[in-house]
Amino acid sequence: MSHSIVYKDVSMSFGHGKNRVEALSPTNFEIGDQEFLMIVGPSGCGKSTLLHITAGLMKPTTGEVRLDGMPITGPGPDKALVFQNFSLFPWKTVRENVEFGLRINGISRAERRERVAKYIRLTGLEGFEDHYPRQLSGGMQQRVAIARSFVMRPRVLLMDEPFAALDAQNRTIMQEELVKIWAEQRTAVLFITHAVEEAVYLADRIMVMSRRPGRIKEIIDVNAVTGPEHWRTRALNDVAADSRFQALRHQVWESVRSEISGDERH
Amino acid sequence: MRAMTPKRLLVSVAGILLPLLCWWYATDVARLVSPFILPAPSAVLDGLTRISGGYMGSSLTGHFVASLSVMLTGYLLALLVGVPLGVAMAWFPAVDRLFGPLLMVLRPIPPPAWIPLAILWFGIGLSGKVFIVFVAAVVPVLVNAYVGCREVPPNLIAAGRTLGARNRTILLEIVLPSAAPVILTGARISLGIAWATIVAAELVVADRGFGFLIMNGYRNFEANIMAGGMLLIGAVGVLMNIGFILVERVLLRWNHREPQDE
Repeated sequence: MSHSIVYKDVSMSFGHGKNRVEALSPTNFEIGDQEFLMIVGPSGCGKSTLLHITAGLMKPTTGEVRLDGMPITGPGPDKALVFQNFSLFPWKTVRENVEFGLRINGISRAERRERVAKYIRLTGLEGFEDHYPRQLSGGMQQRVAIARSFVMRPRVLLMDEPFAALDAQNRTIMQEELVKIWAEQRTAVLFITHAVEEAVYLADRIMVMSRRPGRIKEIIDVNAVTGPEHWRTRALNDVAADSRFQALRHQVWESVRSEISGDERH
Repeated sequence: MRAMTPKRLLVSVAGILLPLLCWWYATDVARLVSPFILPAPSAVLDGLTRISGGYMGSSLTGHFVASLSVMLTGYLLALLVGVPLGVAMAWFPAVDRLFGPLLMVLRPIPPPAWIPLAILWFGIGLSGKVFIVFVAAVVPVLVNAYVGCREVPPNLIAAGRTLGARNRTILLEIVLPSAAPVILTGARISLGIAWATIVAAELVVADRGFGFLIMNGYRNFEANIMAGGMLLIGAVGVLMNIGFILVERVLLRWNHREPQDE
């Protein structure tokens, strides 16, 4: 497997002297070229920090992250980020939101029109192009945010608990939609979540993180369980009945729970 | 704002009509108050008719234009200086450090306190009054521009950066539109303050304008002219505010809550 993102001794501390808090212990791992990697872990385990470092929005205290061999030094359209609270530009219409990144990066008008139309269709936003975000439900807003990121054709898609603000039904629909959109345009995905089921359903590999200071507790290879035909191509409701899915969900949940309650340290 | 049902409308109309009725009763009917203290509605109407037919060398339009032109000049200057300075202070820490302390000292001085200084510097002509209006109006404009730009959700700026936006694009396409509602609110508050301030300035030095009407009515024991001038000031103030809200509605179409589609 070729690696698109390589983390070498990446760590993060905040504050100085006595107030110094280590959020992330030195961390080493890789994300494959078209791999869907999900990180689960208790609150404050540094998973968001890891994501923001990858986006180039934060500088790690030590170590570096390389994207296709080049160190990440700042944010840019090759590392698209989807936020939990959508973070759409409320004064721009759906079309203007999706088009924004292309326009400011000097993509020609004709290509912009074509690409925006394609991703609006892919995300099921046809007919809403001229709506403002305020006029849309949470699920629709997150579709816009996903379209705004995918339209940039990033090397890596970073998702920061993107479906956590949605209700259970919308969340399931969006998970299945994301798989369809991603199938059209496979990039590396780094996806952070609290939801174990979401991780087991979507991921190629799941990285479980320990509580603060965060370190990699274990990496679970979901592909090894599903085989070459990954279950995310089927509906979540069907997959949830699969005993292998249930066993894996149980395993991941136990691993996360021991970090929350601290069983292992007693 | 809540929808105006007939019942709610009735209460609002009664809120205006009842005091008018009391006023009319206390003066015209029962004659409880001396007309020098509180003129009757009919006398105020007479006063307004006299003003509109020309009062102290100016027509009603003349007085209106006198007040409005000075007010608008000072107000526009305040917008031209206040918005860019507020944005610059929010965007460049050095500008904030340079102007912040001075503004902190000047802000608590109420605008009328500037009147003597304005006369000393600019004389009793137009420029002195423009200066006072400017001083009064610039503060809310500047403060709101500053606060509006400071309170841009950090996630929107982060979203812009991850999409490849540089500083200039962040400022022009994210910070300014995001701050626009707050900036416009400041501009609307300022317009009211500017109007109040020009009247205050005309009370002190003027030979025309609505403030002059009030002061002249007071000097000549013409309470009806005084009250007429006050009513005109109120009416113009209300109209300006309504006009501004309509402008805001057009400019900030995206900021309106509408029923959700799903």
